[in-house]
Amino acid sequence: MASVDVKGVSKNYGNITALKNVSLSMNTNGCIGILGPNGAGKTTLMKLITNIIKPSTGEILVNGTDVSNNPSAALRTVGSIIEQPEFYTYLTAYETMMFVCRIKGGTKEYCKSEIERVSEITEVNGFLNRKTGTYSRGMKQRLALAVALINNPDVIVLDEPTFGLDPKGMSDIRNALNRIRELRNSIIILSTHLISEVKELCDRVIIMDEGSIVYDSDTDSVEKSLRVRFYEAPADGLNSIANDPFMEDGGKTAIFRVRKEVPNYLIIQDLMNRGAKIRDVEESSGIEEKYLAIVGRRKD
Amino acid sequence: MVQETGKFGIVVSQYFRNYYRSRSFYLMLVISLLISGLMTYFSLKYVGNLHITFGGVSFNSLSSSLKERAVLYLWAFVLSYLPVFSAVFFGSPAISSEIENKTAYHIFPLPIRRSTLLFGKLTAAVAVSYIIVSVYTIFELISYLILFGSFPSIVFLYSYLLLLLFIISITAFTFLVSSIFNKNMYAYITVFLLYYLIFNALYIILDFLYNYNAFFLLSESASIIERVFIDINTTVPGSTSISLNGAGNGPIGIAAMVMVIYAVISIAGALILFDRKEVK
Repeated sequence: MASVDVKGVSKNYGNITALKNVSLSMNTNGCIGILGPNGAGKTTLMKLITNIIKPSTGEILVNGTDVSNNPSAALRTVGSIIEQPEFYTYLTAYETMMFVCRIKGGTKEYCKSEIERVSEITEVNGFLNRKTGTYSRGMKQRLALAVALINNPDVIVLDEPTFGLDPKGMSDIRNALNRIRELRNSIIILSTHLISEVKELCDRVIIMDEGSIVYDSDTDSVEKSLRVRFYEAPADGLNSIANDPFMEDGGKTAIFRVRKEVPNYLIIQDLMNRGAKIRDVEESSGIEEKYLAIVGRRKD
Repeated sequence: MVQETGKFGIVVSQYFRNYYRSRSFYLMLVISLLISGLMTYFSLKYVGNLHITFGGVSFNSLSSSLKERAVLYLWAFVLSYLPVFSAVFFGSPAISSEIENKTAYHIFPLPIRRSTLLFGKLTAAVAVSYIIVSVYTIFELISYLILFGSFPSIVFLYSYLLLLLFIISITAFTFLVSSIFNKNMYAYITVFLLYYLIFNALYIILDFLYNYNAFFLLSESASIIERVFIDINTTVPGSTSISLNGAGNGPIGIAAMVMVIYAVISIAGALILFDRKEVK
């Protein structure tokens, strides 16, 4: 089983501390979503894991090997997209992938089959022999994903992989990520601004703020929120549905926090049975609530 | 598993491919072909009627062996500028472009030592530069063959090998400058300023004020490429150091040593800086 261990890592840029004594253990295959506002330290953490920068203090171990001291061994089973990578403009996608595959230890024959495999997943097979200098942003991002997936890495580090893409490009990348995630043979660390991406793809969510981890939980254990607006609330109150509903709008709106697996219709049915006249119901993810609570608190 | 030496070969072929397909390579090739063409034209048309003098002796009065060396000297004199331009094109942006063009995000996370990446890229840059100067050298050999009916002496080979050493040292030097900066333009400007302004200024100051030959400057040691044929020092206008013999083993050894020292120090410096390079 693959593992990534971040042990007491800090990163300073002059007087600015981008990451403050972060410790984190990732040792279960699946997707880990890292959320946070700009400047939270997400990209810094991604760059540290992939040896693009080195920690000021602490260490990062991939499968037990220190990334800074022994990158050749530690990064052999890591694939990554950090920020918006560019490729050597005079090389084709095929040559780019062959280079990465060979550096990661693949033989020529193995690399040929690997290129075929990842090209299919990421749908780059249509432009394999074109020089990357002629690619659009979306094509480069798909190639970056293909490069990240080559040689079946144990750990895939993705820093905002859909950033700057049009809706079609975003959907293509997400579909590819979904296919990879379903295979469940790697740890995917996904840093993003988009809560919807984490909800759709990840099993664990980490929220970062001001260089620290402020929340870390399985997405399944995060409750969802149900916002119910009434024409008329139930006469006997709301406490039977949820212990602590949050009231807004002079009692005409109630926000219920319930477990993800509870079907919405059960709650609505119960309210209606007790005489409530419901205007509308809106479900939002608990991750969103958590995230907004943390970011909102900081802004306040 | 591919060992670090195997990875070196993969890196060299990758960068070599990227270099020889680049616009810079074709531009340098065109420059090399133009200069080669001009030199061939003038060699074949005018070599019997040259009015230039070598140490007060007119070209036509030179002995046939000296005439042969004089022709090779003129070709090599022009040739020694090509590696500088080539190194500026391929070496100056070598490291800075990885940051400026964001290709660092692609190569830094790879399981390979930065030293292997640097040596691989340096080898590829030296190889393409050598191809460019070799085009010129082929023209030189053909012209020589037509003019004198035989191939040049072993001294020509010395000059060609010293040229390789110069290409290695000037390219390593540009890699060092490139590893200091994150912007290509700064690296280009710094290399030009250092090589053509600072080095020349230092040479003139030391020569004119202290009558001291700044043999330790890379630009000065590069002149050995032509001085192996006739030891005329043309770095400074009006310089009085003239000999119609080729430079002996002593000057060749010193120049070679200077170039090796530049190469070693530059590579060591570039390695240290590149290893610490971060993309913020």
